[in-house]
This record gives sequence, C-alpha cells and structure tokens, in this order.
Amino acid sequence: MDTLRLLASQGAEAGWLSESFSYAFMVNALVAALLVGPLLGGLGTLVIAKRLAFFSEAVGHAALTGIAIGVLLGEPPENPIIGLFCFCMIFALLLHFVRNRTAVPYDTLVGVFLAVALAGGAALLMYVARKINIHMLENVLFGSILTITDFDLLVLGISCLLIIVGLMFTFNRILLASISPDIAKVRGYNTHFYDYLFVMMITLVTIAAVKIVGAVLVGALLLIPGATARLMTKNMGSFVLLSSLLATLSCLIGTLLPMELKLPIPSGASIILVAASFFLIATIYRIVGGRS
Amino acid sequence: MGPSISLNDVGLRYENNIVLQDISVSLDAGKCHVIMGPNGGGKTSLLRSILGLTPFKGEINVNWTDSKGKIGYVPQKATFEPSLPLTVLDFILLNQSRSPLFFNFNKKHKVKALAQLARLGMADRAMFRMGQLSGGEQQRVLFAQALLDNPDLLILDEPTNGMDDQGVRYFESLISDLVKEQKTILVVHHDISAVRRLEATVHVVNGVLIESGDASEVLQTNKIEQLFNHYRSTPVSDVVNDSTVNSEVA
Repeated sequence: MDTLRLLASQGAEAGWLSESFSYAFMVNALVAALLVGPLLGGLGTLVIAKRLAFFSEAVGHAALTGIAIGVLLGEPPENPIIGLFCFCMIFALLLHFVRNRTAVPYDTLVGVFLAVALAGGAALLMYVARKINIHMLENVLFGSILTITDFDLLVLGISCLLIIVGLMFTFNRILLASISPDIAKVRGYNTHFYDYLFVMMITLVTIAAVKIVGAVLVGALLLIPGATARLMTKNMGSFVLLSSLLATLSCLIGTLLPMELKLPIPSGASIILVAASFFLIATIYRIVGGRS
Repeated sequence: MGPSISLNDVGLRYENNIVLQDISVSLDAGKCHVIMGPNGGGKTSLLRSILGLTPFKGEINVNWTDSKGKIGYVPQKATFEPSLPLTVLDFILLNQSRSPLFFNFNKKHKVKALAQLARLGMADRAMFRMGQLSGGEQQRVLFAQALLDNPDLLILDEPTNGMDDQGVRYFESLISDLVKEQKTILVVHHDISAVRRLEATVHVVNGVLIESGDASEVLQTNKIEQLFNHYRSTPVSDVVNDSTVNSEVA
C-alpha cells in the first residue's frame, strides 16, 4: 500500500493525477472502492433474484446496534469490528432461522427484526454517547473515506477473497436453490446450506463496506446497481458483470467527486447518489426506448 | 436400468388434513407408471414423498439395481419472474454446470445445453427469458432440464400442462423411447385419453390407493366416474407424519 500511495503522490506532484491523489486516505478509499464495488454489484444480482432487498437493508441497519455493543464492550469507537461482525452475523442467521421455522411472511419478519435492531441500537446509543463523541457515529452510519486504514483494507481484502472464491463455486447452486428449491433438492443440493451461506456472504460484505458506504446505505449499493443492470441486460452473465461494473464505477466516482468538487458530502451518500443517477438514466432509456 | 419403488403403508397429513393413508404398492423397474386421481387426491404429495421432499409416515424404498442412479424431476409448475434476465440457456446451464453463469466460457457446456433444448424443440427460444415463455414452453424447458443427466428414474408432475398437441405427442414418443431404454418413469397425469395411449401401469389415488393395473383394465369407460369422484368415500383414520422414515431418495 505504501508503494501505491507513493506512486499516487508522485503522479499528483507531476500533474498526471489530480491533487486529491496526493492524500493517503484518498488512495486507501479508492482501493477500498475497487475491492468492494465488484463484490456488492455481483452479490446484488443474487439479492434481486432471491428478493432479499429488504433483508440486506435490515442487516445494514443492524450494524448500528452492533457498533453500539462493540463500543460499550470496550472496542475502539472508530473501529468496533468484533461487535459489528458478531451482532450482524447473529442477527442475519437468527432471522433466517426463524424464517425457516415459522409461517410468518418474510417481509413482515424482516420488518420486525429491523425495528427491534434499530430500537436496540437507539437505546444503546444513549449509553454510548456518555463514552464517545456521538458525531463519530456519523462516519459509521453514512461512510467516511477519511477513516479507512490499512487494517480496514486488509479486512476488506480478506472478505472479498473469501466471497469471490465462495461465489465461483456456489453461484449457480445459490441461484437454482432460490429459483426452484425442489429441483435443487432432487439434484442433491443442500438448499438450506446455500441459503445460509448466501446470508453469511451478504453479512460479511455489509460489514466490510460499512466504512466506505456507511451502515445505513450499504443495502442500497447492494440493490441499485443490480436494479439498473436488470433493466439493461438480457442474460444472467451480463447481468452480474454490468451490475459489478456499475457498483465499482459508483464507488469510484462517488469517492472522487466530493473531493474534486470540494463538497462536504459523506462518501456513502455520494456513492449512492451516483448509483441512483445510473438507475435514473437506465429507467429513462427503457421508457423512451419503449421497452419497459 | 431404472429402479423399482416399493411403498409400504405410506401416509401423509398437513395439520388436520389427511392427504394420504395406507398406500402400499410396488412400482416395477423399467416401466412407466401413471398416477391419476381427482384434484386434491394426493397425487403430487405422493410424488414429493417418493422424492423425499415431504415428510411422510411409512416406508418408501427406491431399489437401484447397482449403485444409486440419477433422478430427473419435472415439478408441476415453476414460477419465473419475467423481469429477471434468466434466459432459457441460463436455466439449463444452471442445472448442468458448476461454472458460474458470469464466468462460463466453456463452449462444450453451451453446445450440450443447446442440444438438450433442441431435443425438446426449444433451441430457438434459448435466449428468451424464462419468465417470457408460455406455460407449455416452460414445461418443455423443465423437461429438458430433467433429461440433462440421462436419468434412470424420471418423475414428472403433470408434464403436459399447457402444452400444445405437438408437444403432447412429442412427450408421448419420448416416454415410449425412455421405457424402451428401461428407465423407470413415474408420471402424474390427468388426461385419460392420453394415458390410454401410453403403455403404462395406472395407479388411481384419492387419499388411498383406489386401483392399480394396466391402463386398459383400470380406465374402462364404465369405471371412470366412480374412480375419479372428487369426494372420498372411504373413511380415513388418523395418520401421523414421521420424518424418520427410511427413504433412499431423501
């Protein structure tokens, strides 16, 4: 990373790159965007195929409680990774477990879990506020490129590697298990295993992306590039690739733009606004093209 | 050679609704068996029990001659969202290969998938979205999926639903070819005249097993009305599901 930052700094000094690249945090943020973008875009297509948009949103919101728990248990307020990871994973797995054992409609169940997680987070924040400056939490809620460290990049890199390797072997089976569980079962696939594996992937990528996109908005980045790609593509292969490309572009442009234009906007918000503008363009294209 | 299947005292209930009880029958290997009966008679539940998709009481044994063979399954219906860009070719590849759809550059996989679709007359629809197909076309694709691994046991739940005459005739000739290859075929079918054309053993189910035998014996004109009564004339006793039952398919 040091070499990369040095090269970027020299490039900025020589005038080949914008002045923003002379800042180490900016290089960190762009590397993070390049890592997390393709992953969020790719997983987002499965979120759409499995109709789990509301679920991924709920996991993002649960991060608030996870962070509060982490801080209360003594983790550093700028990086309460253990509390965040443990709470989000338990939240997601418990939600899926209850879903498989009750007849309550899934969206209702997610709504209940989301409300409980948010209420718990709000209650705990009162105690957290006594320990830390509450404004620090804004970074976690809405993302902050200033706070990305080498350790965050390491966590992000490991998470991305795990998920990409997992997806290469399981993408087809996760998709088949959601489209036609009976056919998947007859073929001998353990559909419950693939369901839980996917839930764990979503949770892992959500946690990994919290620093750059923010807990509140990470669900949107799982959803919007996929929704845009769905309007523009004709098969699953191009659907996944375009969604990954759009998510990566959104992350890169959303990170760079506020710096270049000197706008005081959190990185998460600008990334989502860029992604949403792609969606708007695609929607207009479909309407004007008469193919909606 | 396909397997024989033996069912012994098979029963199934959903909460207070008794769906099947005391079903005991042997399905010979390498033959076509058609399950018929009125709506709500438990035909699909019986198939799902044999496949291990539903917990049941009793015993179901799938007796393979050598090692456990392949099973092909066509469900009664599958719901495909029209806006999802899942093409017919994607769906076949999904069932055929582990290479992720976004990273599948293996031409052999695509050639094999297209050949399978051509067999069912669907090659020219390969790039259509699954959700855009008619019900009959979707059934053809599901049938193509079931035949992918050259299965020894083929289980089909109303496979000709929504199919046109040409599709139905093709289905019948394919079943005939598969029986010649000594595959075991189990079909839920509701079209009496179509079943008469198949060389099949018919099992009429309406909660209990009403009658089993050759199509020509079971489907005699004077017996049809009695066999396919929607209501159940036989009183049913309590049946409790037992998911610990031995089934080699499950």
